[in-house]
Amino acid sequence: MFVLVVGGGKVGYYLAKELIDAGHEVALMEKDRRRAGQIADEIGSIVIAHDGCEGKYLGEAGCNRADVVAAVTGDDEDNLVICQMAKHHFDVPRTIARVNNPKNEALFRHLGVDELISPTRMILGSIEQDIPVHELLHLAALGEGELEIIEAHLQSGSPAIGHAPRDLAIPDGCSLFAVIRNGVATPLRPDTIMLEGDKVIAIGNTDCQALLHAQLIGEALATDA
Amino acid sequence: MSEAHRPVFHRAVIALNGGSSDARIVRLVAEQARLTKAELIAVHILEIDWTLPLDADIAGDSDEVQRVLDSAEAIAEESKIRLEPVLLQARDVGAAIVDETVERGADLLVVGLPYRKRFGGEFAIGRTIPYILQNAPCAVWVVRDPISEETK
Repeated sequence: MFVLVVGGGKVGYYLAKELIDAGHEVALMEKDRRRAGQIADEIGSIVIAHDGCEGKYLGEAGCNRADVVAAVTGDDEDNLVICQMAKHHFDVPRTIARVNNPKNEALFRHLGVDELISPTRMILGSIEQDIPVHELLHLAALGEGELEIIEAHLQSGSPAIGHAPRDLAIPDGCSLFAVIRNGVATPLRPDTIMLEGDKVIAIGNTDCQALLHAQLIGEALATDA
Repeated sequence: MSEAHRPVFHRAVIALNGGSSDARIVRLVAEQARLTKAELIAVHILEIDWTLPLDADIAGDSDEVQRVLDSAEAIAEESKIRLEPVLLQARDVGAAIVDETVERGADLLVVGLPYRKRFGGEFAIGRTIPYILQNAPCAVWVVRDPISEETK
């Protein structure tokens, strides 16, 4: 598989190294000539010292035959431009973008980037898993991003405690499908009584989160200003 | 050249660029190798840009590539010394020459340097030879073409 990595920072460098070790053909674009030289000295002649935001240089880097383009620069704007050009101008089958600001995720999806990697979102998710919060925890995005897998930790005060899913007004487009109780995951049936401490796993579109929050957490959903 | 000052090498890699310096460097090294019975390897690198896979069949379609290697062999033969022709496809000529030199365990690398000027008149050494000088572990001979009337 030929992978074109754009951005020679820490992420791009280690990504290229791992891909080479795994036997893939890799080209790495880095616009800073000094940094490009350093990487070439360490990894070999895989570095193209040009700006991946320019179509001409993407073409020279072999974007036309790339199976995957991974845009991992530190700038969301650059990553978006690179993925868009790769997708729409060079017909690359799979584009992957690093998204630093989670608020940009929707835009990236809307503009056709195939996969998003948000380190900020990942760290946030990890922190939320360790700290009890009275919020819905977003575990993963599905499809084009319109669906999400969500976890709700039922704590004292939750209206769902002592009730079964069939007793709740679960919004359309949303489904409660599993419960984690004492570390064991089991399917959540319509008549399963939910208990304090349960972690309820739901899948649903992003629009129904406010209603789901009211049913499972019981407090007003915090919204972005 | 006296015996005491004659350079001693056992295996030399000659980097061919397909230009006018090829004949000069092959002849020079072949004459020296004949006296020391050294082994000669002539390497011609075909640089493949990233729009093509590295194993694209470029060399097979090129008569020019064959001509470069055949000429080198013929010149070595005149000096009654055997020369092994090697054709490689690579992304970067300098790195490929150095890699091949290391892999072959050569103790001498010989490269030709055409005399060229940049726009503005400054002498242009290119990027391959500085890379080789910086990275080749063995002795390196750089043989520059004479300055012709045209390039003055």
